Amino acid sequence: MTNSIGEIRDADFLFVIGSNTSEAHPIIAMEMKRAVRDGATMVVADPRAIWMTTIADKHLQIAPGSDVWLLNAMAHVIIEEGLVDETFIAEQTENFDAVRESVAKYTPEEAEKITGVPADDIRWTARKYATTKKAGIYYTLGITEHSHGTDNVYALANLVLMTGHLGKPSAGMNPLRGQNNVQGANDAGASPIFYPGYQRVDDPAAQAKYEAAWGVELSPEPGMNLNEMMKVVGKQLFGLFVMGEDIVLSEPNCMELEKALNKNEFLVLQDAFLNETARFANVVFPAGVFAEKEGVFTNSERRVQRVRKAVEPPGLARADWEILVDLANACGADWTYASAAEVYDELARHAPNFVGISHERIDTQVVDGPTGLQWPCPTPDHPGTKFLHEAGVLRGKGLFQPVEYRPSMELPDEDYGLLLSTGRTLYHYNCATQTRREPGLATKQPEAFVEIHPRDAKKRGVRDGDLVELSTRRGSVHARAIVSRQVRPGCIWTPLHFAEARANVLTNDAGDPVTGTAEYKVCAAEVKVVEATTDGATRFPGSYYGVGGPGPDGAQPVDAGARAE
Amino acid sequence: MSENGQNGTSTIEIEGRTLAFEAGETVLEVAQRNGIEIPTLCHDPRLDPAGACRTCLVEIDGWRRLAPACATKANAGMKIASENARIDRHRRSLLALYMTDHPSDRETSERGAPDQLLDMVEQYDAPSDWGWLETLRSDRPDDANPYIHFNPDTCIVCARCTRYCDEVEGVSAITLAGRGSQTTISTVDRLGLLDTTCEMCGGCIDVCPTGAMGEKTPLMRGDKPERELTKVRSTCNFCGVGCQLDLNVDPDGNDGKGRVVKVTSPPTGTTTNDGNLCVKGRFAYDFINHEERLTTPLIRNAAGEFEAASWDEALRVAAQGLMGVRDRHGADALAFVSSSRCTMEENYLVQKLSRAVFRTNNVHQCAAT
Ligand code: SF4
Ligand code: SF4
Ligand code: FES
Repeated sequence: MTNSIGEIRDADFLFVIGSNTSEAHPIIAMEMKRAVRDGATMVVADPRAIWMTTIADKHLQIAPGSDVWLLNAMAHVIIEEGLVDETFIAEQTENFDAVRESVAKYTPEEAEKITGVPADDIRWTARKYATTKKAGIYYTLGITEHSHGTDNVYALANLVLMTGHLGKPSAGMNPLRGQNNVQGANDAGASPIFYPGYQRVDDPAAQAKYEAAWGVELSPEPGMNLNEMMKVVGKQLFGLFVMGEDIVLSEPNCMELEKALNKNEFLVLQDAFLNETARFANVVFPAGVFAEKEGVFTNSERRVQRVRKAVEPPGLARADWEILVDLANACGADWTYASAAEVYDELARHAPNFVGISHERIDTQVVDGPTGLQWPCPTPDHPGTKFLHEAGVLRGKGLFQPVEYRPSMELPDEDYGLLLSTGRTLYHYNCATQTRREPGLATKQPEAFVEIHPRDAKKRGVRDGDLVELSTRRGSVHARAIVSRQVRPGCIWTPLHFAEARANVLTNDAGDPVTGTAEYKVCAAEVKVVEATTDGATRFPGSYYGVGGPGPDGAQPVDAGARAE
Repeated sequence: MSENGQNGTSTIEIEGRTLAFEAGETVLEVAQRNGIEIPTLCHDPRLDPAGACRTCLVEIDGWRRLAPACATKANAGMKIASENARIDRHRRSLLALYMTDHPSDRETSERGAPDQLLDMVEQYDAPSDWGWLETLRSDRPDDANPYIHFNPDTCIVCARCTRYCDEVEGVSAITLAGRGSQTTISTVDRLGLLDTTCEMCGGCIDVCPTGAMGEKTPLMRGDKPERELTKVRSTCNFCGVGCQLDLNVDPDGNDGKGRVVKVTSPPTGTTTNDGNLCVKGRFAYDFINHEERLTTPLIRNAAGEFEAASWDEALRVAAQGLMGVRDRHGADALAFVSSSRCTMEENYLVQKLSRAVFRTNNVHQCAAT
């Protein structure tokens, strides 16, 4: 995020796109509600009538995958009506002309045809955004989980740059991160191209620095990103180490991955629970959960905050960092960290943005008052950085990147007539290995469901509550139909969380060419009613029941027959 | 902002101290900012003032009646007393009235959260012999929601919970219902919370000053009350907001390993989340003590089954397995998937393991967005 969460409440205009904020980030949503209550204008662009639209001034119910059209059309309006910030563009950016040219053909009227958003609404939003000083953009996976996710982000950045809504309180561009420490994991170098602190592995200076620090020769070849890795398991990859993740459940097109994993030679899994991936593991290490270890998480506003040990892990389980030290040493290394704080210190020593932060400083200096410190924080007396880009755009000038609309990789056709998107709900968390174990949360949303528009439901003879088979070119799952106007006609939506009906059996693993992020948001699908059986919504074709029996995930098969009564 | 407040230079006087205020500030806010103590129960900085509980009464020169500090805007030149005999007399009568239908022993009233009304009664030495009435407030005994318990006996109808639900969470699931001494906290048609717009944020529990809104599970399990638990400040492990929270630990639980009994939010105004949490951050912690937690390393044996193993053995087998792949296919045939659920330190170690020990850059976190 370029801004802090605390600044949201002071915003005067909020453009929320591709973010089901009240479900995925309830606390951010509270701040947004507060801004709206204090008179801010909010526009929500989302294919579904999500809760946030109930308090928004406008809901742009955009066709899934057409974000570039919407955003370029907004840029078109801002340029056409002379609402750009000329000074900011001249002093702080490059390449504006390219964008000016490229958006010329993206007229609101054309955009209406593709996005389904009325041209007047596009104009209104563009004007309002450009002319409000404290105007912030908020987005999440709805923007990035596309094969053109990077394009979407560039298109948003173009809007920010041409209006100069950057480096000011409550303005800027704010990706709301999904998981707790996505930011911190990136910062720490869990990336095929970056050492800690975004120092490139193919930069000889960075390589030399880490070779000196670690006392070994290092590879200058960038590695594979996750999406690439998962495609070559069993072909180029024959050994995997997986920490704290359920790749089988989280990966798009997981049926392919399961086949590939059978050709993999060795897999080490480190987790607190036996997850789906465990079926392919040779060794499993029992790991502690967050309440059982010391360390830091970095939130989406770059705030490094402490995780503190409150209880001991059960049995022989141990904190992940302790296991990693032992594993490295078993592989011939000589690591001697006595505490997580020591690990942090080593990380920070070679990554200038983090040098000023330490466990000790967080523990002693900021007890009350917003806790933690926001990087960049280059010295131990530096107060941390509230919003990025304050003193001019980071790393020189802001670069405009013209983007052209590319249709999603797979769109509805004769065989699969509906457009399927997947997402999160408030009550569950990603693979739900944690939240599905919570009896309360399971009560509120006990089984997999798919939302379908009344018109499409009628065409297919689907009634509310029917058990349906939801299929794509890659596989099919069973789920409960919810007939709802939350979704646009022609679109259906299903949550990711249910192990029994893994939405990822269905999704397309076509990745974004730059980031490798898979297209979870858009693929072609079809829905048909099936007879309710006792297997019901808990079954899906696949090896889940084939290998090792009804999975370890603790979910008791739901008696769908009983439920249908 | 400061234009209306005469450039922020206006002042009021509290207990003889001259204090500057900004336009729009309440007497309570000015007092609190300057460390002057005024007791409150229904006040919450996140909410519009309600002036409901009357514990914050102050005396303002020239005003006939005592005024609630939380709901009175500071006005240039006001002279205010926050402690004197009149205020004390009023406050003690008020507290005594509250106590006529409020349990006075902590064991009954504090089964879950600390009861600030009892604290106040002690602090101001309020009489507690004004008689005893059975409360007329009704509860909703068949509310099957898993998390939130309402105890009408200790409710003082300050409406913090309903205002929070309305103003902060924005869903208005709970509401004041009934009149007079029967006023209670209820829902539309007395529905169970699961059937309302409630999002189970637990904010109503957090703001309740007496513990009338309480957390169900610890109550049903008969866990120790909050006062006897140790709070450990940590960061939520669910989403990227990074809410700060307090793990309330019973150190004797789980045979001395410690047990997280419940999670509470730090006071409003002190952290990014401003005292708020969502359903997951507040309630979804059964996984910590779940019976399916892995408690021992496992190795797959020749028959394809997992077998419990010692750490030494598991580490040795894992190391040999990974090194074997490297020796057969080269370092780039290995890949390390790390987790955005783990700490920064752990992610650092995974990439170092991959790069420095195995010499491959095939390392990435899952959920790389
Ligand atoms: S849990 Fe949250 S949403 Fe539900 S009643 Fe309480 S404050 Fe309202
Ligand atoms: S339940 Fe608590 S917060 Fe709600 S009115 Fe009663 S005392 Fe106040
Ligand atoms: S705190 Fe002022 S009336 Fe309750």
